[in-house]
Amino acid sequence: MNKINFYLLEYAYSYILRHKNKNIFIVTVFTLLVALLATLFFVTSSLRYELKERIANQSDIIIQNYKAGMPAAIDVSVLDKLLEIEGVTAGKLEVQGKYYFRPKESTFYLLGVDAFEMQDDPVVAKLLEQYELSDSEMLVSKNVQDIMNQAYYKEYFNFIKPDGSLHKVSIKASFDVGERVELKNLIIMSKDTLREIFGYSADEGSDIALSVANKNELEFISSKIRLLLPNAKVTSKDDLLLEYEKLFDYDSGVFLSLFVIALFTFFIIIYDKANGLSSEEKREIGILKAIGWCVEDVLHAKFYEATLLSFFSFTLGLGIAFVYVFVFKAPLLGAIFTHENMLEIHNFQLNIHIELSYILLIFLLSVPVYIAATLIPSWRVATLDADEVMR
Amino acid sequence: MSLSKLLFLFFILITNLFAYPNYSDALKSKKIYPMGKKIFQKKCSKLNVNAFKSYEALLDSIKETKECGNLKSSYQEALALYLWDVQREAKVERKYPDLNVSQKEKCPICGMFLYKYPRWVSMIEYQDGKKLYFDGMKDLFTYYFKHKEGIKNIYTRAYYTQETIDAEDAYYVIGSDVYGPMGHELIGFKNEKSAKQFLFDHRGKTIVRFDNVTAAMVHKLDE
Repeated sequence: MNKINFYLLEYAYSYILRHKNKNIFIVTVFTLLVALLATLFFVTSSLRYELKERIANQSDIIIQNYKAGMPAAIDVSVLDKLLEIEGVTAGKLEVQGKYYFRPKESTFYLLGVDAFEMQDDPVVAKLLEQYELSDSEMLVSKNVQDIMNQAYYKEYFNFIKPDGSLHKVSIKASFDVGERVELKNLIIMSKDTLREIFGYSADEGSDIALSVANKNELEFISSKIRLLLPNAKVTSKDDLLLEYEKLFDYDSGVFLSLFVIALFTFFIIIYDKANGLSSEEKREIGILKAIGWCVEDVLHAKFYEATLLSFFSFTLGLGIAFVYVFVFKAPLLGAIFTHENMLEIHNFQLNIHIELSYILLIFLLSVPVYIAATLIPSWRVATLDADEVMR
Repeated sequence: MSLSKLLFLFFILITNLFAYPNYSDALKSKKIYPMGKKIFQKKCSKLNVNAFKSYEALLDSIKETKECGNLKSSYQEALALYLWDVQREAKVERKYPDLNVSQKEKCPICGMFLYKYPRWVSMIEYQDGKKLYFDGMKDLFTYYFKHKEGIKNIYTRAYYTQETIDAEDAYYVIGSDVYGPMGHELIGFKNEKSAKQFLFDHRGKTIVRFDNVTAAMVHKLDE
């Protein structure tokens, strides 16, 4: 096994071509299986990555006021109270929310900013370095600009306030969000302007964001705040992660059932193959032995044959899955993971992120199993005498 | 005479009380000063605080001269407070090194890799430039009691804020329900208020200063 024996390799290759129909069937099943598994892992690993990235940009603790079971405006005096807690290193009153633009059926995400406050999000921080916003100006993402353009809003946009009157804000500039798909519909403007649009009073906001330097304290501080503000909803970064994970595990469960069925099918085929060779294959081995091949040579040739087949199918399957997920955006299977409210991934613009460990897992589940299933019955036949096999 | 003096004092007290806003220290250091600093850097880095005699004069000047552009009143206040409290004091902020460790660095006492527990890294700096990193104050003390000569600085992290502080000035809480990588720890704090709050929250037993820590005390933590 030190060197590749090219004669045997050639023999294996021509063997595959000789049994074309049978091998095409195996390659098809094998490729489909690998493609299905790889799709699953590509989708989950890039989604998981996406989640992690998003949570990394979140504030450590978010506090929302609840009224009648609905999120309501929160007062700035609450923030002053919370900053007294040891371990909270910074905090700010956030003014943010969604704005539904009915003519184009799209939802904008409006974020109020204060140029003199700390910005958690690097994209927002960079934009504020670049532009100085007055109270009648806003920055819009490229996508929002396109939507506004379609409605013939080129230089300004009229927001409808809760009382039905209009509030005009001019578009200062547009920005590109790059890989941050979740910021696709972002609009940035000053907090006071946004308060006007949402109908908040001067010292109200939508929620309070706190940062905690020592992540060990996150849970303790959250529970402290829960005691302090019994009506508020307190979400720490850990809670958020857990919530996402829960949802995600449910989806993965659906996918897992697919996975199990696929694996089961594969193993049935393998079992069938391992259970015995066709008489034709047996005769071929018999002839080989009769013309002087030893057991080792036969196994070598069979090993090459199985390796060629399985590697070819494995690569093809991976390639198909890659194109399916990242080029065609996972047309049918992706729908399993589409949760409008949670992730807002409507059209699966996933950033490519592949974990090598998963690919290794698929490899180990398929290729060695197939090779073994080819070798074992051949070995059983090859150890018999040639005349016994041919008889 | 004495009555007029008293009246005068009263007057001073009253005016000062009303002029200087009454915010708590936490609020000021966590919200107002960072904001004031940002305004100062962005809008009026030329303003010289030492030219003003009182906080009021400073605030009035910011309001009237418009040197810093048209600021909202809350911004004006934040700027004035930052300048008056932080800049005027001209505290030369001592520069503390970042306690960042490489992936290879190990604790000389327990031999554990330090990069896995960045929150607990503490350091002894010797006069000959040698720097030793430990995964917590307990191990640092164990080493410190045997190698006291030639020490230049000792640093640790403040538990709540995670900033580097001088270990010799810190307050330590013993016996809390918060564990470090090596079990029970001496957990360091920048000031006594934080240490007391921690003691209360996490059921600590005592607060000790650096000089009062004894070898027996450290040894007992491992039991």
